[in-house]
Amino acid sequence: MGLNLKNLIKGAALGLFPALLFLTSCSRPKSPLDASTIIVWEQEDAQVAPYIDSVFSAFKRLPESKDIRIIRTHYQTEDLRQQFQAASLAGVAPDLIMCPSDTAGLFAVSGFIRPVDGLIDASKYNKAVLQAITLDGHIWGVPVSNGNHLMMFFNKKYVKTAPKNTDELFKFCANEAKAYKLDFCMAFDMGEPFWLMPWLAAFGGWPIDNKTPTLDTPAMRSAINFYLDLKFNKKYAPPECDYNCMDSLFKEGKTAFIINGDWSISGYQQHFKRDFGLALIPKLSQTGLWPAPMVSGKYFMVSSGVKPEKLEMIKRLMDFYTTSDNQIRQFKELQRLPALAEASKAPEITGTEVSRVSMDQISKGRPMSMATEMRAIWDSARNYLGLATSRKLSVEDATRKMQQNADLKISEMNR
Amino acid sequence: MEILYSVYEVLWFVFIVIAGIALIEGYFYYHFQFYDRRWFFPAALLGFPLAGAAGCFAMGLVTEPVRIFLWLLGSEGLIAPFFRHIVKGRSKLAYLLLAPAFIGLALLLVYPFVFEVYLSFSDLKLTTIMQWKNTGYLPFVGLRQYIDVFTTSPLSEVTFWALLGRTLWWTFINVFFHVAGGFTLALLLNNHIRFKGFYRTLLVIPWAMPQVVAVLAMRGEFHAQYGFINIMLGKLAAAYPFLAGLGLGPVQWLSNYPLTTCTLINIWLGIPFMMVVILGGLQSISSSYYDAADIDGASYLQKLRFITIPLIRPVMMPAVTLGTVWTFNNINVIYLVTGQSGGTERADILVSALYKAAFTYNRYSYSAAFAIVIFAILFFVSVFYLKSFDAAKEER
Amino acid sequence: MNKEAAAYRRKKFLKYLLIHAAIISFVVICVYPLLRILSVSIRPGDKLFSTDLALLPKGADFAAYVRLLKETLFLRWLWNSLLITVTTSFIGVSLASTAAYAFSRFKFGGKKGGLILLLSTQMIPAGMLILPLFLMIMKLGLMNTYLGIIIAYSVSSLPFSIWILKGYYDTIPRSLEEAALVDGTSQLGAFYRVILPLSTPALSIAFLFNFTTAWNEYLVARVVLFSSKQYTWTLGLFELQGQYITQWGMFAAGSMLVTIPVLAVFLYSSKWLISGLTLGSVKG
Repeated sequence: MGLNLKNLIKGAALGLFPALLFLTSCSRPKSPLDASTIIVWEQEDAQVAPYIDSVFSAFKRLPESKDIRIIRTHYQTEDLRQQFQAASLAGVAPDLIMCPSDTAGLFAVSGFIRPVDGLIDASKYNKAVLQAITLDGHIWGVPVSNGNHLMMFFNKKYVKTAPKNTDELFKFCANEAKAYKLDFCMAFDMGEPFWLMPWLAAFGGWPIDNKTPTLDTPAMRSAINFYLDLKFNKKYAPPECDYNCMDSLFKEGKTAFIINGDWSISGYQQHFKRDFGLALIPKLSQTGLWPAPMVSGKYFMVSSGVKPEKLEMIKRLMDFYTTSDNQIRQFKELQRLPALAEASKAPEITGTEVSRVSMDQISKGRPMSMATEMRAIWDSARNYLGLATSRKLSVEDATRKMQQNADLKISEMNR
Repeated sequence: MEILYSVYEVLWFVFIVIAGIALIEGYFYYHFQFYDRRWFFPAALLGFPLAGAAGCFAMGLVTEPVRIFLWLLGSEGLIAPFFRHIVKGRSKLAYLLLAPAFIGLALLLVYPFVFEVYLSFSDLKLTTIMQWKNTGYLPFVGLRQYIDVFTTSPLSEVTFWALLGRTLWWTFINVFFHVAGGFTLALLLNNHIRFKGFYRTLLVIPWAMPQVVAVLAMRGEFHAQYGFINIMLGKLAAAYPFLAGLGLGPVQWLSNYPLTTCTLINIWLGIPFMMVVILGGLQSISSSYYDAADIDGASYLQKLRFITIPLIRPVMMPAVTLGTVWTFNNINVIYLVTGQSGGTERADILVSALYKAAFTYNRYSYSAAFAIVIFAILFFVSVFYLKSFDAAKEER
Repeated sequence: MNKEAAAYRRKKFLKYLLIHAAIISFVVICVYPLLRILSVSIRPGDKLFSTDLALLPKGADFAAYVRLLKETLFLRWLWNSLLITVTTSFIGVSLASTAAYAFSRFKFGGKKGGLILLLSTQMIPAGMLILPLFLMIMKLGLMNTYLGIIIAYSVSSLPFSIWILKGYYDTIPRSLEEAALVDGTSQLGAFYRVILPLSTPALSIAFLFNFTTAWNEYLVARVVLFSSKQYTWTLGLFELQGQYITQWGMFAAGSMLVTIPVLAVFLYSSKWLISGLTLGSVKG
């Protein structure tokens, strides 16, 4: 052993040891995992945390739950997935997780979460939001909010009335947008297939049928051609632009329209104040169909490791979180639409423009499938959409390979 | 108060670490020092397993002290004769100096590594994961996962071999420019100049910054329309038309040259580290060599070639070897630059493909096999490299 | 004053001018992105990306810094990180300096194998270790404490530190130690009194490496820590990153603040980077 180490040990032994011995007798953090503690993991954006905490503390103030402790831990989306899997395997999973439905399929298939069929009254909630959490005939989560859907936002400085269909939109782009010297008429994340889905639907397609990918379709080819036209012929949309880029362009007033999710509403409201406008994604004039964004929501999911005696407590928490009052308050504070059917009809929701348009957009949307096959679809679509829209692959080849690859990955995943 | 508590807590942990080191040292000291005493065997076979079992039980790591005692007794039964008949107290000091470091590494890495090897020979995926958790048993599938690694694409189309070639190329280019850039900067800084410390501090900024923001900020500079680089390229081309004639102009970096973009960013990130290492290495060269060379009238380049480079090799070699391994396994830059956009599997290297495959499809066993293959490649490459380095050293 | 001396001075001046110019151009490349991040942090509207090249954005303010310090536990996280980082750096460098001495000065069985083993620990793709690490930390009861982190961080930088220190010790002539040994010092005494003082450049490199690695580490911390008071700054700062919306203003402000300690350590290390071997006679 080195002398420096020896000295260190000497120092530690002489100086610290008695003190440490004394102190250790009274401390060392105790594990909080007991029967009256509910552990919740979430992956919300940071501005949502205060709201969640406020609901939890209101719940704890109820007389029948005064002994309950709730521990909330935040994870990033990807971390939540990995950590939840690891914790489930180690047998220390949190009781509840709160996340969007896209990871639910994974957790359901692997048996990490339990169905909530018996726990909740499914008829209380909106249909689409329940459908997005239904797989193999079971409901896998309690919907907390409804939405996560794309819609169109515009800058009222440039746009007086929202276009109803793409013809009107393109007319604006060809005339007014030029006059305002905008960098681009519209911007949206064209590399991410999530943004393609509304248009795919407007051309009459949808990426998945039950559990089978349906990507090599005329609708898909039309949708990609529509993108190419926007980018390279009409030049209304930027050729290379991801989420942060479109967001900046819109916030800096360099584009009039953006297609973004309902999660961004409150941020834009703060930024634009009175100049913030929102609308449905305009009807595709070519086919006369409405673009249908994917609709899901945020859900509570119950770990399969939860002990039966704790279930009652957890059920009460989930019920409390989705009472009509809390659903309306959630809308007021976070602009998240209620998943509870009763709350969706409340005057607070129907009375404001934001929620009315948002609700309307949801009704045009379609539930996002929670099947694990979606992963392969997203992945394959992202890759070949990118290749096609940067003109490295013809549209026909791209859709054909998109389909082949998704099929292949699904078979590899399941074998 | 909480801050005081955290200090106390950390001091306590430091104490535990030191106590652990002392235990390790004591254990080995006993085996090295007293291997030939008559009481060596009885004391070792009784004392250590008992103490170990009691310790584990007291800390709550095991519930059954008897089993751990028998287990420890068995291992001590192998270790003690080994020390008596084979080691015989030789190289005592060297091993005692190494023991804590190696035991620490073993603690951290042996279990995960064995776990990965186990996974790679079985079939863990979404549908078998619950079975594994409940029964602790996984079906053995032999080499199937390894065959899959070589025969199927982890991403869409790109094959394992293409990825391997790309990874080697990426590693070579990056390490080359890290060393070249770091060397140049170190030589420049090694002059008697003013503001040396100040310059050096500013030059390490890319290393000192949190990598995620550094990469994301750089990524912005490569944007086709609004990035600094393209704007400058555009201005250059406009100001000097002959440059434009040579094909210079704005480039769609992210969609057309994703790997080049990643490489440029990674070179930028990695130079400061090499610079600091080489700067330290330059300090190990005694100035008497240069003085002698000056008397002989050697030119600057000669001094560089015959004094500086050979003499900093011992310090450079570890940095270059490890730099190679890290670059080979570098995921951050590629993931952050291309992660979100499509059609970018042309920019993926082995590890980034591995992560995408592992986290997208949850094929645990397949990705474990993939990781082991990556490990094996790196291992053989570096053993080969070190052998040739040793050979070069002996020639001199 | 003759002409030759003047020409020599001019030449020397020109040389230093060139050196400064070259270094400054590199400095600009290194500093520019930091300035961009600074401008993100004072830019209103939480935008990471800007279509504007101006470093001082319109309507700049320090709101993000204020919010970061007021609304989050940022200072606490910084403190936690500092505590862990400093501790692990000292433990790591102490262990490495002695182990490297063994590799440099002794002949023993398994020496080459040991060096390769060190290297091979760096070859497993780190992301693959999340699951086993979690299971292990769980079994050892180290969840949500710093002990696991301190061990993991101290140990994980060892391979580099040992290698670099070994390389440096190798350059120190054995005659220096032998002189001390003749004087009756023990082997360890010679190491402590002769080798260590001469190796400050390598020791400080190892320390800087340990420091930056532990300071910026995310993966292990994410596995081990889950209560926000215990977080290191990496965990805390990434909490600002949501699925779609990231509070880039605060994120960038945090990044600026966490860079400062590292730069301070680098600035401070300057004097240790100069070796006793060459002190006062560095030639270019």
